[in-house]
Amino acid sequence: MGEAKELVSDEARDDTGARLGMWLFILSELLLFGGMFILYSAYRYKNAVDFHHASMELEVLLGTFNTLILVTSSLSMAASIAAVRRGQRRLSMVLLMATIALGLFFLANKGFEWGAKIEHGIYPNSPTLLTRAKGEVLFFGLYYVMTGLHGLHVLVGICILGGMLTLMIKDKINRTRFVPLENSGLYWHLVDIIWIFLYPLFYLIT
Amino acid sequence: MAKYRTYILVWVGLVILTGTTLSVAGMNLGGWTVFIALAVAGTKSGLVLNYFMHLRSERLLIFRVIIPLVMAVFLVFILLTFADLAFRGGVR
Repeated sequence: MGEAKELVSDEARDDTGARLGMWLFILSELLLFGGMFILYSAYRYKNAVDFHHASMELEVLLGTFNTLILVTSSLSMAASIAAVRRGQRRLSMVLLMATIALGLFFLANKGFEWGAKIEHGIYPNSPTLLTRAKGEVLFFGLYYVMTGLHGLHVLVGICILGGMLTLMIKDKINRTRFVPLENSGLYWHLVDIIWIFLYPLFYLIT
Repeated sequence: MAKYRTYILVWVGLVILTGTTLSVAGMNLGGWTVFIALAVAGTKSGLVLNYFMHLRSERLLIFRVIIPLVMAVFLVFILLTFADLAFRGGVR
């Protein structure tokens, strides 16, 4: 089995190219979210007081909890890659499953949060929201778009990690061939970084 | 190869910084609040980028070019947007 692995690693592949391609994608994602962050800051600059009032309605504890969940999932993701490179296959798979579980946990919390807001009649273009100040309408619009797009990224990340887990079970990802897992990890950390900025900007405005 | 211990230390740092940004938000520091929040978020992403995403040990020259380049483009967008907002005059 050990010899077979060595032969497999002789196939044509470009690990550096794969990593570079992933980074180019990540940088394009940073600009995508970056544009939204600029929009957010421009509107906040113009409507500081409204943004403050609207932000007070978000659950700070839930946001903080979700930050801790994502940060921890980044730890398990990084550790999973380190484990597979050391040939600790079982540990790596457990850590990967933990990462997926934490991602689902994050989305569940987000779902509750959105659900509670929608129940209170706060959602884009809702009659209740439209009676409020212009800045508050903008704040909640940005809140739904930015956390929504971020949530979509978490969902896609979970699907990718699920795919990686399948590849690991089939031994397509192992000690000598781990770049797909590494690149998925890069994506997962990117999603974490975006949340690191979303958290203070939406939940902690004073 | 990266050590588990390093990762755990980075995680502890991230948790502490999350606590910091949360407690600073509770204080009344005026204009400093946003600045501190962004500085803490920047530090946290620096930790994630350097340790979890291994940028620290990236030896390829192109990474030292494309990442600052994208950051510079982003900075230009920010500056242009705020230059626009600041000099618009009476029109909202």
